[in-house]
Amino acid sequence: MTSEANLHLSWIPLLALTGATVNGFFGKRFSRSLVAAVALAFCGAAFVWALVVVSRFSFLPEPVYSEPFAQWIQISGFHVEFAFFLDHLSLIMLLVVTGVGFLIHIYSVGYMWDDPSFYRFFTYLNLFMFFMLTLVLANNYLQMFIGWEGVGLASYLLIGFWFTKDSAASAGKKAFIVNRIGDFGFLIALFLIIQHFGSLNFTQVFDAAGRLPTETAGAGTMTAVGLLLMVGAAGKSAQIPLYVWLPDAMEGPTPVSALIHAATMVTAGVYMVSRSHVIFERAPMALTVVAIIGTVTALFAATIGITQTDIKKVLAYSTVSQLGYMFIACGVGAFSAGIFHLMTHAFFKGLLFLGAGSVIHAVGGEQDMRKMGGLRSKIPWTFWTVTVGTIAIAGIPPFAGFFSKDEILWKAYQSNWVYWFVGLVTAFITSFYMFRMWFLTFFGEYKGDADRHDSHGNDHGHGHGHGGVHESPMVMLVPLMILAILSIIGGWVGIGGRFEHFLAPVFQTGVEAAHEVEPHSSMEEILMLVSVAVAVCGLALAWLLYVKKPQLPKQIAEGMGSLYRAVFNKYYVDEFYARLLVKPLLLGSTNILWKGVDQGVIDAALDGSATGANEVSDSIRHMQSGNLRSYAGWIAAGAAAVIVYMIWVGTR
Amino acid sequence: MNGTPQVADYLRILPEIVLSVFGMAVMLLDPLLEERRRAKVLGGVGLVGALVALVSTFCMAKQRGPAFWNMVQVDSFSVFFHFLVIAITVVVVLSSYEYMEVQKIRAGEYYALLLFGAVGMCLMSSAVELVLIFIALEISSISTYILAGFRRRAAISSESSVKYFLLGSFATAFFLYGVALMFGATGSTSIAVVSTRLQAEPTVPVLAYAAFALMFVGLGFKVAAAPFHVWTPDVYEGAPSPVVGFMSTGPKAAVFAVLLRIIFEAHAPGALWFVWAAAALSMTIGNLAALVQTNVKRLLAYSSIAHAGYLLIAFAALKGTDGIISAMFYTASYAAMNVGAFAVIGHFAGAGERYITVEDYAGLGRRSPVLAATLTIFLLSLIGIPMTGGFFAKFYVFSAALQNNLIWLVMIGVLNSAIGAYYYLRIIVTMYMREPNHEEAVPPVSFSLGSALAISVVATLYLGILPGRVLDYARSAAEYIR
Amino acid sequence: MNLAAIHSWILTLITFTPLVGALLLVLSPRRDREIRWFALGISLLTFVLSLHLLVHFDKAKAGFNFELDRAWIAAPNIHYHLGVDGVSMWLVVLTTFLTPLCVLISWTSIQERVKEFFILLLVMETALLGVFVALDLFVFYFFWEATLIPMALLIGMFGHGRKIYAAVKFFLYTMVASVFMLAAILWLYAKTGTFDFVVLQNTVHTIPGYAAASFWLFLGFFIAFAVKVPLFPFHTWLPDAHVEAPTAGSVLLAGVLLKMGTYGMLRFDLGLFPEQSRANASWIMVLALIGIIYGALVALVQPNMKKVIAYSSVSHLGFVVLGIFSFTTAGLDGATYVMLAHGISTGGLFMLAGILYERRHTYDILEFGGLATPMPNYAAFFLFIVLASGGLPLLNGFVGEFLVLSGAFQAKAIYGILGATGVIWAAGYLLWMYQRVFYGKVTHEINNTLPDLNLREKTALVPAAIMALVMGVAPVLWFNTIDPAVQSILAPFAQMASRVVGP
Repeated sequence: MTSEANLHLSWIPLLALTGATVNGFFGKRFSRSLVAAVALAFCGAAFVWALVVVSRFSFLPEPVYSEPFAQWIQISGFHVEFAFFLDHLSLIMLLVVTGVGFLIHIYSVGYMWDDPSFYRFFTYLNLFMFFMLTLVLANNYLQMFIGWEGVGLASYLLIGFWFTKDSAASAGKKAFIVNRIGDFGFLIALFLIIQHFGSLNFTQVFDAAGRLPTETAGAGTMTAVGLLLMVGAAGKSAQIPLYVWLPDAMEGPTPVSALIHAATMVTAGVYMVSRSHVIFERAPMALTVVAIIGTVTALFAATIGITQTDIKKVLAYSTVSQLGYMFIACGVGAFSAGIFHLMTHAFFKGLLFLGAGSVIHAVGGEQDMRKMGGLRSKIPWTFWTVTVGTIAIAGIPPFAGFFSKDEILWKAYQSNWVYWFVGLVTAFITSFYMFRMWFLTFFGEYKGDADRHDSHGNDHGHGHGHGGVHESPMVMLVPLMILAILSIIGGWVGIGGRFEHFLAPVFQTGVEAAHEVEPHSSMEEILMLVSVAVAVCGLALAWLLYVKKPQLPKQIAEGMGSLYRAVFNKYYVDEFYARLLVKPLLLGSTNILWKGVDQGVIDAALDGSATGANEVSDSIRHMQSGNLRSYAGWIAAGAAAVIVYMIWVGTR
Repeated sequence: MNGTPQVADYLRILPEIVLSVFGMAVMLLDPLLEERRRAKVLGGVGLVGALVALVSTFCMAKQRGPAFWNMVQVDSFSVFFHFLVIAITVVVVLSSYEYMEVQKIRAGEYYALLLFGAVGMCLMSSAVELVLIFIALEISSISTYILAGFRRRAAISSESSVKYFLLGSFATAFFLYGVALMFGATGSTSIAVVSTRLQAEPTVPVLAYAAFALMFVGLGFKVAAAPFHVWTPDVYEGAPSPVVGFMSTGPKAAVFAVLLRIIFEAHAPGALWFVWAAAALSMTIGNLAALVQTNVKRLLAYSSIAHAGYLLIAFAALKGTDGIISAMFYTASYAAMNVGAFAVIGHFAGAGERYITVEDYAGLGRRSPVLAATLTIFLLSLIGIPMTGGFFAKFYVFSAALQNNLIWLVMIGVLNSAIGAYYYLRIIVTMYMREPNHEEAVPPVSFSLGSALAISVVATLYLGILPGRVLDYARSAAEYIR
Repeated sequence: MNLAAIHSWILTLITFTPLVGALLLVLSPRRDREIRWFALGISLLTFVLSLHLLVHFDKAKAGFNFELDRAWIAAPNIHYHLGVDGVSMWLVVLTTFLTPLCVLISWTSIQERVKEFFILLLVMETALLGVFVALDLFVFYFFWEATLIPMALLIGMFGHGRKIYAAVKFFLYTMVASVFMLAAILWLYAKTGTFDFVVLQNTVHTIPGYAAASFWLFLGFFIAFAVKVPLFPFHTWLPDAHVEAPTAGSVLLAGVLLKMGTYGMLRFDLGLFPEQSRANASWIMVLALIGIIYGALVALVQPNMKKVIAYSSVSHLGFVVLGIFSFTTAGLDGATYVMLAHGISTGGLFMLAGILYERRHTYDILEFGGLATPMPNYAAFFLFIVLASGGLPLLNGFVGEFLVLSGAFQAKAIYGILGATGVIWAAGYLLWMYQRVFYGKVTHEINNTLPDLNLREKTALVPAAIMALVMGVAPVLWFNTIDPAVQSILAPFAQMASRVVGP
């Protein structure tokens, strides 16, 4: 498999790691610009090298390349190595991660410039790049798991970046632990794979799995593996029931939300499922579960998105919902569509988050959309770029979102119209709440006071005051523009199923292979029109409610009553978890296990035996009366016993 | 019973002779010396006597064989115990020296009594004739009775003396009665004859059984084996510490020697389950009772009951010689650590034995590190921590028992040694981990006491690290009484 | 001196160098400063000597390396028989590695009776080393018991709070347990006349009445080990001992002393009683699982830093036992690796806790909060070690736990699954503790004044941190010696192993 050409894939993650190390150890003494230079240099270098790799890759005889790096674990009967693996799938991920990552690095320089621990931020950011690239380029599940846990760590550190804020610290912890729950599933899946294939190497596992029959009859090993992998994916990609950490993750600095919690890390689950498509294709039941989880999550999160007032929370729930889309795609076996949406989503959601960041930056740290409005004229660049992003996510042609989303809906329709219908409804809601955000932020008149520079519950209010609402510096705007362009043209690569063809070498083994050659039926056109119409309706409704009749929403909310409150409070899921899982666990551990078993039973038993011994001891001491007669009595008694015994023995 | 004793006969009791002579010398010198020099000189004489006796055991060892019409038997077995008993005497004399001054006790016949006691014990180990054994037993007992009451100022001391005397004579009466019955049963009091007769008989007469029972009662009392242990705590508490060191080891050793001869050499009939019971009982009672003791001497009294129990395990192991060997080794190592322990206690107790509760030992580790370390070694040995004599002592006894498949007895023993660990540990903990509750400086250790301690420590560690020599000697000795 | 001679005596040299140092200290005057430096020198010397093992270990050699077998006492037939295999060698190195760090970490925290402290510490090291190199049951038992006294004294003399209670509890708990092992050893000796592990291993089956006795023998050894590990429900001595012990005491206690138990199981329970080990594996693994989950849950709610770490040890050692009694290559390799990893990371955690105690004289988590602001470097080290202990890939904790779990999974799926929940709990109690201590705003004014790590403390922590990283990235270096040893331990279980290990 290792071809004559050596692409030095390993350089890509290692460059990022070097950046992190340098800044981590010396960043404290560096000047801000030097820190930024180091971070950008290494991240940029990684991106450039990625491009080089891509250019060379196309010339390889076969579209898969793997590059051994070092042995990791080696025991009799089982070994795992560090090795890097590249095919069309990881190629796309590689470009998205390094590309978007690099842009966000640039943006961050401007966004974080005034932060006291500037160097720490970039150390973490580079560290994240390292782990994310390890994940993407892994050639075996365990190395993927390294990246998997590593990005979790990075996200923990970055969410809790402003750790003096308790909410931030808690959010970071929550993210890590919820992810661990997912990882638990992932681990069990790995054990099953080891048990059945004796290896974790992708090539070996998939070759072996490929030879297995499809488990149509019902649950088999592959189904089990699939479901367990999905547990892991649900954790990382914030799907029901493990999505709860993502909204809280917005405590992190906005570039982090853009990079980790929108563009790259959260899509790792989708990547992992697609990577394991061979296994999933042999486990229809598992696929169905994936599809259902995706569908439900998409709709569920979208509805919450409607009521959110915090601009970042809206985007967060929209991310959850969009990830749901990708899982629908995977669930119906249209992995390429899922990856396609993953890519476009990276563009426009990254853009939207950065845009939101720019807005927040402009209004001095405010995140509540009700305190914004009318910013259209004040920050034109931000406005226009965000607009592009909004249109893109709403799925209006010819913007990127349209193509990928439409692809998914079409594949969903072919599989089962229910998926399609829910997807469509979600599309409508999405378009509605996105434009709601758009209108609230940029139209009407400004409702906030830009000269506030405290730091209440927001992420950018540290220190420096802003002289009124102002446009962000170029260093922030340039990434916005580039992403805006990508959000427009990014979808075109999908026209005529070109994207699917590109990924064919990876997924062609798929049982869904039939679809890719299928001509565009009239049905597809119809559905396309429907979805576009739906998107426009969403826009219209948002315009009606937030521009035409701004008082209406309140009335509707009151009309809805408890339902509205439920949605507004995110269906009380967090409270539910807290009450039913966390609290009982803590109380139980304290009162039943620690105070109960440990102290109440075990130690009590020991102390009991000790006191018992002491009591016996005491009673013996009291026999020791000091009275001579009683002593003589004892001796006589003992003597009698011995003599009687001996005589008994003798006379027997 | 004819013919006059030869020189060899006298050589075979040379240590006894030496000890007696020096003992009498002490008594004669006592009135001739003036007050202030008396203690020193008498002590010196006593020490010299003991040392000379120690040397004389080597001459005796060269003259193996019977003496005085087969009443005395010199063999490795008796040599072993002679050496042991006299060594104990040496150490006790050394440790008494300073004690006497501190306690302001008129030395007088003290040293004499020590030596006479030693005579009795030596004789017990070499006597192979029951009546002689009884006499020897009485010699040693009477001197210890008196020694126990030597702290004349302390009422408790006299009380202990009286108790010891009354109960002791009560017990020895049992022994004597046993001897009588044995004579009735076999027509002889010579162990050798008894043994042959008993084996000759198709059915052992009931009388013999009773005789053994009675003798065991008498001896059991001396070694403080349950249920004949009741006197021990009171007596030990009252008696002067060095004396306790003496009477908790010397007589024990000698009496166990006798027990060995009687049970093994005379082939006591019947499964001796009462030995089994006595062993289990002594260990359990001793250890449990010791748990709550606050007075160190009482604590060690119970501990000595427990150790008697461990030792008796060896007597339950009748098959083979392992029982005998392990018993001999045990007496030796127990002597080493216990004499040492009581020497320390006696020194630390101060005038009138004031500091004698466990609490008084608080912070000793800081106030007198060397003394504390020494005591710690003895205590660890009493617990039975490896590399100390105490460990191997227990070890041999247990493995002897296991050879005889006495698994339950061993389990009882093992568990008991775990319980025992606690109260010894309590002293160590108090010494090192508690803050001193009174700041009275510990008096400096005199040369004599120092050397006494040194000997004990060396012996304890030697037996713990290189038990081979002693063990081999015990093995060879065991052959003689099997 | 030719190499062969060095090879046969090196273990003796390593084992007794600290003891010699201790004896020299006994004779030396009370000059605290010099004593500290001397102790450091001795412990470093021991470490350097132990590196000889790593360099010259011959993994091709069957049986034990650096073997030395001299008759010591004729009756009982005790041999001074030392030797190490791939497992025990690493435990030796772990011990010699941690001791210098213990000396450093006690540099200023011990001000009174400095001499006694370092004497005890060095004696402790010798005892621990002896346990791992002894191949004669008697010698083993001796060192085993010998560890009790210095540790009990370290806790009782230099601890804090209810130190005496803790010391006595520790001593009796483990003492009572080990007498059962003594009984078993005595029985073996009474029947075979030898203490030699290697000899016994080959002859033990031929003993008359072995079949009947073997269960009780196995149990006798097992109880002693289980209390030391400590395996649920024998663990309650551990929290008390740890909380009251001085830092160095805790480091050695958690880092090395607990491993005596698991090592004992690996070497003697599996080595001498394979059938019994297999027969009893199921309930032992259940206890181990309870330990993993129970320890973690209780750790979660502890108000005291050291108790959190102590209970986390209960959880981690549960992994080790789980791995050992899975009788799979992965399981045993992993178990061994967890032993070493836990030694490093938990040792590190206790050092860090001690550093904080030195500044604030409390372990109460509520007394802290927001420390990351005044003590950034300290916070960074703490986070690193926490992640290592929490089993983050590329750090030392992960590899071992992963292998153990996959081994357990192969033995019986449910064991692996239940054990794997441990990864969730670990993240829980570690990060929660970390958040409460370091994040948020500084709640107690005094904490703002705490100085960050000084050079000495860094010197003590850096080696641990580096080790944690290296062990996570390059486990190959360890496994190429551990694996052969494990293979030979597993030989009696061959057919069973081959059944459960995948193709």
